[in-house]
Amino acid sequence: MSIENKADQFKQAFREEGREVLVDLESALLELNDNRGDQELVGQVFRALHTLKGSGAMFGFEDLATFTHNLETAFDEVRNGQLQISSELIDLTLAALDQIRAMLEEGISGAAPADAAVCAEILARVRHLTGKPEKHPAKGKSAPPTANLDDEAETGSEAAAGQVREWSIHFAPGADFMMNGANPLLLLRELQQMGGLAVKASMAAVPPFAELDPERCYVAWEMVLATAAERDAIRDVFIFVEDSCELIIEPVTNTIESSDPSAPDSAQQVLSAANAADITARALEESRLSSGGRRSYDSPDHASSLRVPAAKLDQFVDLVGELVTVQARLSEVAMRNDDPEVAAVSEEIERLTSSLRENSMNIRMMPIRGTFEKFRRLVHDLARDLGKNVELTIEGADTELDKTVIDQLGDPLMHLIRNSMDHGIEPPAVRAERGKRPTATIHLSARHSGASVLIAVSDDGGGINAEAVRNRAIERSLVDAGTQLTENEIFALIFQPGFSTAQQVTDVSGRGVGMDVVRQRVDNLRGSIDVASKSGAGTTVTLRLPLTLAIIDGLLVSIADASFVLPLANILECIELTSTDIERANGKHMADVRGEIVPYIRLREHFNIRSPRPEIEQIMIASTEGGRYGFVVDRVLGNCQTVIKNLGRFYRHVKVVSGATILGDGTVALILDPERVAQDAVHANAHGARAGPSTTTIAAAVKQSLRERSAAPH
Amino acid sequence: MGITLDDSGSQAMIGLNGVVDISSAAEFKMLLLRALNSGKEVRVSLSGATALDVTAVQLLWSAEREATRAGTGLSFTGPAPAEVYVSLCEVDLQQFLVTDS
Repeated sequence: MSIENKADQFKQAFREEGREVLVDLESALLELNDNRGDQELVGQVFRALHTLKGSGAMFGFEDLATFTHNLETAFDEVRNGQLQISSELIDLTLAALDQIRAMLEEGISGAAPADAAVCAEILARVRHLTGKPEKHPAKGKSAPPTANLDDEAETGSEAAAGQVREWSIHFAPGADFMMNGANPLLLLRELQQMGGLAVKASMAAVPPFAELDPERCYVAWEMVLATAAERDAIRDVFIFVEDSCELIIEPVTNTIESSDPSAPDSAQQVLSAANAADITARALEESRLSSGGRRSYDSPDHASSLRVPAAKLDQFVDLVGELVTVQARLSEVAMRNDDPEVAAVSEEIERLTSSLRENSMNIRMMPIRGTFEKFRRLVHDLARDLGKNVELTIEGADTELDKTVIDQLGDPLMHLIRNSMDHGIEPPAVRAERGKRPTATIHLSARHSGASVLIAVSDDGGGINAEAVRNRAIERSLVDAGTQLTENEIFALIFQPGFSTAQQVTDVSGRGVGMDVVRQRVDNLRGSIDVASKSGAGTTVTLRLPLTLAIIDGLLVSIADASFVLPLANILECIELTSTDIERANGKHMADVRGEIVPYIRLREHFNIRSPRPEIEQIMIASTEGGRYGFVVDRVLGNCQTVIKNLGRFYRHVKVVSGATILGDGTVALILDPERVAQDAVHANAHGARAGPSTTTIAAAVKQSLRERSAAPH
Repeated sequence: MGITLDDSGSQAMIGLNGVVDISSAAEFKMLLLRALNSGKEVRVSLSGATALDVTAVQLLWSAEREATRAGTGLSFTGPAPAEVYVSLCEVDLQQFLVTDS
């Protein structure tokens, strides 16, 4: 690979990390807006800006570095108490982040470029706040160190703010460090800006000339830095190269309370005395121990991580899915042939595939935090635009779910939040009239429930006016005037295409587009929406989403000759159902599970399967949001790693089925959604009717379509 | 511009010009190797250089050790230009470009 390609690759890595830094920065800023005195947050914002600036310059994002530098200056003043946090500063910085994001994405097709006029205006206003002229950071390889004097003056005051400590820093670039476009000079310059720095380079690891790889950095540096900055701030300097170098940052034991923070003399003494010998000996020892590459990190719990493009991961999971399907076939063949040797191999492969599948699914799991945190900004901006006071609270941000699900969740959540802010939450005057807190709350929460994740958006606004929704639906001919609807059915209408109850169409929402999109997206994810609302008290919209869209652990069951899969995560236990039990319950569909009454659903009847039932049936007891339900089947066939296949658009309306899977013998089993089956059965019971189309008919049609698909040439 | 080698005389003369960094490191190593293999004393001129990065310094340092071992020696025709020297000082690499001669 050429150096240019490598440099591009590294630029890309900086982009990815930069995006993350921006997300954190945004959250920190919004939090700071609420807690203006929080020095830790100020420090966090400052460090993030500093990191963007320093690393931006290193990887060739000069505009970004210059622009960020001016913001950094403002936050340095905040840190030193010279400047107060104001709404204006927060808003300016947020606007600036949008520009920085644009600069970061520059050159990527489809990305809007940064607006020079907007940037200039932001900088002018920031300068007005700080009362300082624009400054440019030291940049480029040829800049002499004296260019940093200005910055050093700044960091002088920064150091004076806290207690000055000395840190010993061992920095040894790894094999690919230089090839990645990183430059030790720029990193050391950044350290120099943090305080007094003494540097000692070591050539100990440089091999004989013939073996020397000209593009690799063998030099290692031992440094002592006298600064008031914390370890994290020092590490931040290396944030973009941390994976390709060895870095040890340790406090030098004797803390000095120096009035002169840039005291290289004292640092030099420490270094040149025992310490240097120590450090060099250790470096030598390490270079002997690790002849190949340098791969040790500064603390044992520092796990190295790897960035992988999502597409590669998807491909990997697809392959694992294929493997699981083939493995099922192998098990089937082994069972049929009754050859103990083949059976042993097949079992071993089954075990391996199972852990491979679990591992690959785990890799795709991500906490939902990033998606949730993004909305702080939305709520902040919207509240300002709408003239309402709204606070966003977040719960369960560490709940993990499949990356594919997370990726598609942003839009629906955005529409739900916008809708709450616009229609749900009342203007401050109305809230005061109703005796509510002037600041409204939007609560975002996530939690696991069986094989699903529940994501809820709640507000403490006015609630949904069911009568208004009903009238509007009649007006728009979505329902007939005479139709009797339950409250839940009325609430479901707001997700119909073209529905909107807003008196006024604002630019936030009210065009009746958003909520329709929510339903569509959630349907695509095989999820469901539940709305609960109380007039005057608020609304909660809950999205139930599958944990993963790829492979699940299932329990294979059969009714007559049809097979079904129930997600194992929902199943609690399995009990027998005999005719004696049925008689004892007086024909009621209730089972006695160790003294507790559990209602059950006869899937044979519910799915309209016409065949005689066996003497002894099985009840699968499953936990659902509505409590425990039993599902009666003929036989339990066993565990099954289930690769979920979509049923396609034609069967989308069949809610009780969440997908299909291909079994080892090539037959198709439908994957049932216990939650929906239970709801459906309760609903059918209440209306005295059976559920819609027979699921076995669907199974036959699905089987046909899958067969056609696999027979079609690729 | 770039890196030049003239081994027609009694010494192998290497001239460094402009920025000598990782982008020219492979070529620099090749020229140094040729100079070392010539069996002549190697003389390096830094006067035309505007910047040297760590890869260049490593190569020179390692080549100097190799030349010393071979008995031919490697030395510099003069000190590095001030701006090059100053930025090498920042990373403490200036010490490796000073030979005894």
